[in-house]
Amino acid sequence: MKPRIIRRSVLGALAVASLSAGAALAADLQPLPDPKFNAKMAELGRHFFFDVRMSGDAALSCASCHDPAKGWGDGMALAKGYPASESFRNAPTLINATLKSRYLWDGRLEGGDAGTMSRDMITEANFMNMDGRLLQERIKQVPEYVALWETFKKNDDPNGMRVFNMIGEFMKTIRSKNVPFDKFKKGDESAMSAQAKAGYEVFKGKGNCVSCHNGPVGSDGNLHRTGVPENPHVIDDPQHGPLRHITMLRHYSTSGMPNYMAARTDVGFYAISKDKRDIGKFNTPSIRDLKYTAPYMHNGMFATLDQVIDFYDKGGSAGSELKPLGLTADEKGALKAFLLEGMSGDPVTVEIPKMPAYQARAFGKN
Amino acid sequence: MKLKPIATLIGATLALGAALAAGAAGAPPALGPLPPPPIPKDNPMSAEKIELGKMLFWDNRLGGDASSPCVVCHEPGKGWGDGGEISRGYPGTQHWRNSQTVLNSAHYGRLFWEGSVPSLEMQAPSAAEGNVAGNGDPSLMEMRMRFIPEYVTRFKKVFGTDWPHIWDAYRAIAAFERTLVSDAKQVPFDRFMKGDKKALSDSAKRGMAVYKGKAGCIQCHNGPLASDQGYYSLGVPENEVFKTEPLYQITHRWEHYQKGVMEKDYRNADKDLGLYYISNHPKDVGKFRTPSLRELKYTAPFMHNGIFYTLDEVVDFYNKGGGDANWPNKSKLLKPLGLTDREKKDLVAFLESLSMDQPLLMDPPKLPPYAVMK
Repeated sequence: MKPRIIRRSVLGALAVASLSAGAALAADLQPLPDPKFNAKMAELGRHFFFDVRMSGDAALSCASCHDPAKGWGDGMALAKGYPASESFRNAPTLINATLKSRYLWDGRLEGGDAGTMSRDMITEANFMNMDGRLLQERIKQVPEYVALWETFKKNDDPNGMRVFNMIGEFMKTIRSKNVPFDKFKKGDESAMSAQAKAGYEVFKGKGNCVSCHNGPVGSDGNLHRTGVPENPHVIDDPQHGPLRHITMLRHYSTSGMPNYMAARTDVGFYAISKDKRDIGKFNTPSIRDLKYTAPYMHNGMFATLDQVIDFYDKGGSAGSELKPLGLTADEKGALKAFLLEGMSGDPVTVEIPKMPAYQARAFGKN
Repeated sequence: MKLKPIATLIGATLALGAALAAGAAGAPPALGPLPPPPIPKDNPMSAEKIELGKMLFWDNRLGGDASSPCVVCHEPGKGWGDGGEISRGYPGTQHWRNSQTVLNSAHYGRLFWEGSVPSLEMQAPSAAEGNVAGNGDPSLMEMRMRFIPEYVTRFKKVFGTDWPHIWDAYRAIAAFERTLVSDAKQVPFDRFMKGDKKALSDSAKRGMAVYKGKAGCIQCHNGPLASDQGYYSLGVPENEVFKTEPLYQITHRWEHYQKGVMEKDYRNADKDLGLYYISNHPKDVGKFRTPSLRELKYTAPFMHNGIFYTLDEVVDFYNKGGGDANWPNKSKLLKPLGLTDREKKDLVAFLESLSMDQPLLMDPPKLPPYAVMK
């Protein structure tokens, strides 16, 4: 453990140094760093990620809401979640997710610990509603998993936080592939079309998107209020009634937010910080691979990038931190081309493992 | 559903105390008609509360994925148990013990097979929230109820709160369960004790003598409930499913892990340790609370793991002196009984006379819908 702490503090010092340098330099998008992960852990995590026995009633896997075929989200405006519940926010893509310095739409988890994020989703009542202790006993009932686990250490139990860390490690492997912008940034001028390059200029210049969407994933890891309209389906869904509102108020209640029963809008980071200045603030999402991850925003309110660009062009809605941009149709088109062609790579796929069956064990030899 | 006058309740409590004191002195407390169940001071009964509790007992929104309300494992048509050897448990899991009848559970001082909770109010959350039972998150279930306007009104009327609270839901369910008791007018044995000498067949009468005498059932199954509420190890064999079925094995290990036993007990877990989980005392390994013998006609299969389907099997088990002689802490009260076939038959006839003529059935309540909160 010790070397890690030392390394962290060195990194911390470097970060401070780069921040002060950043103040002088203009923020910019950067190419993705090479992924770093433990391949053995990630391999086990891949199995867990697709295994429905990771949820309470064995109905859902992580992939149910983070489907590789749907840009590692679920393709819906608002996520579904556990049976008899509905979510009140969009299922964000997992592509590059572990690189973010803050996790989840309301930024309630610090980045860097994907295992904790996976634990929170698996054990949360309206997502996978799984008891961690039951999860470890289910894993012990699958000989293939025990064998994989024992490649780390003989006669070791799959248990505790380490189970979730495997999934976190797998998430580190979910990375953009073959992105034109990254090649362009490394000197390949032909990697992006002229229109996409023009869009990059709008992104950095007149659009000023870069002030929040910067760094390798295109997110400053901060919380901002853009005034995205409320999704009316949260409070009243013709098919599902108030199920999403229930989830929302329960989230606020368990977050310790004052007067949670009165909430009729998504307050975002305020539920976490309890600072009124944070009402309506959400975590800046990545702008990579948007080609695969519609609909957009924390509540999926925009089905297309055109709608997103128009929204920012108008300066968001009331109370927003944004200003109107006055983009021309060409500029909007260029921006869209940059985002869809330049910042989106090949589809991010993975081999979906077969789910190995439970087998009986020798009773009393645990 | 009418409420008993408070004076009667106090009288009943005193009578019960007297019976217990008498038991301590020598002869076991006598069998007899059940008094009204004790009502805790902090959860008084009311018609409105009972009605609300009945709705909640049936309401699938109390549970994780809306498939596991109380009634699923405590069905009126299955003697208020689930009719299986081992309770079905939550989807994707298996429970590990027999689902006990709710009938007359109001008379127990402690609930569950190893007496892990002290009241029905505490039993309800263990069942609704337990991961192999209801798997419901209390804060989520509470919020669900707040979006059901009829519940908001009813909780306010019964508990005086602006919004339903989960602990009040458990109180209402407990109040409802206190109404699920044997009706003495319908129980042949109770009618007999109140003077109707024809209420018992000759066979049942002979069986009563065996029960109190040669078979010695009365040593533990005594008092109006036919249970001393004590804990005994009988050597009931483990249910074979734990040796062969993955889902049962998962729950078996999980129970040991989550109950917080010592590591060696988890590693070697090959039986249900019963009261030991609560006391952590080696002398309590394998002990389970004496169940009531009322309503047996409707509550097969029997024992904590549902291993016996018929009363004949149960009687045979005791006639042999219980299970394996080397079973941990096996009760000295168990000895081979040497019952004749006729005595066994008579005993079963007597046991059946402790059940109502007709099962206590109940129509499901109409459940109120969710509504949008303006």
